[in-house]
Amino acid sequence: MESALSDRLQQSGFAASARARSMPVALKIVVAGGFAVGKTTFVGAISEIDPLRTEAEMTVEGLGVDNVGAVEGKTGTTVAMDFGRVTIGPDMVLYLFGTPGQDRFWFMWDELARGSIGGVVLVDTRRLEDCFPAVDYFEALGVPFVVACNLFDGIATHHPREVREALRVPANVPVVLCDARRKSHVQETLILLVEGALRRAQSRQGR
Amino acid sequence: MADDSRAHEPPHPAAAEPRRTPRIVRPYVLTQGRTNAPAATFALEAQVRSLTTSASMSRTATPEARRIVDLCQTPLSVAEVAARLMVPVGVARVLVGDLAAANAVTVDVGAQDAANDVALLERLLDGIRAL
Repeated sequence: MESALSDRLQQSGFAASARARSMPVALKIVVAGGFAVGKTTFVGAISEIDPLRTEAEMTVEGLGVDNVGAVEGKTGTTVAMDFGRVTIGPDMVLYLFGTPGQDRFWFMWDELARGSIGGVVLVDTRRLEDCFPAVDYFEALGVPFVVACNLFDGIATHHPREVREALRVPANVPVVLCDARRKSHVQETLILLVEGALRRAQSRQGR
Repeated sequence: MADDSRAHEPPHPAAAEPRRTPRIVRPYVLTQGRTNAPAATFALEAQVRSLTTSASMSRTATPEARRIVDLCQTPLSVAEVAARLMVPVGVARVLVGDLAAANAVTVDVGAQDAANDVALLERLLDGIRAL
């Protein structure tokens, strides 16, 4: 652990001082899925802060942004994403980033996925196809992910097995039911994700 | 900060316009139009911590710089800095990069290979279970 931290500090041009060692290690999980599938609800259920909203730009150069607020309908302006924070301990903090609702903002997905532990793909089983881009993305990237079927109104409309068959995800990808409003469900989903990530890291280490 | 001399000479006419709140300022006026600092590579989750206080900063330090130094007395991510300042992430990165270059803050670039770090993942798993 200590070596991992110092490696990381060495990679930083700015954090060379010993004082930087008191910084918590920041980890990141991406919460993806279609529009209005409950990503911010999922993040908010476990975050210690109300989910914050931040904006990024399609291109930062030559951008005619007259207002910090996103101007709807403008091409190539800003994209908003919500995120939350979970303090894991005095030396570790976990961030949960919701992907922008619009799948066309792939540039933002790359930014979010870089250095992440893995992803949660939230699914509305009534609009299963909305999650295909997220599943494709994580599969192509080879990062661990979990498929979580959001229980809208606490009701399961499809069995996870049906969702698994429809999505054709590999056997090592958990498919679970999850009420995104309930902390315990969100917690269980994150545990499954990190367990999978840990197994993968262990098998790679053994090689 | 290195750019103090320019703080009073906005390079863009828009910056000379009356400014009611930081919200109505064109975002890249805050960064003097710069977008390509090395800071552009800071991860969203990269932790920023102040090495000074706003009270001990130069009189010419911008309000945004002071605010970041105030916010980051306890470590905060680049994404949180952006959200709290209500500026795009790209702007926050440049502002944080300037402060880091001036030794006003320090930045940990974040876990680059967390997904392959067994010890880190074990601690994360224990931590999430204990929530």
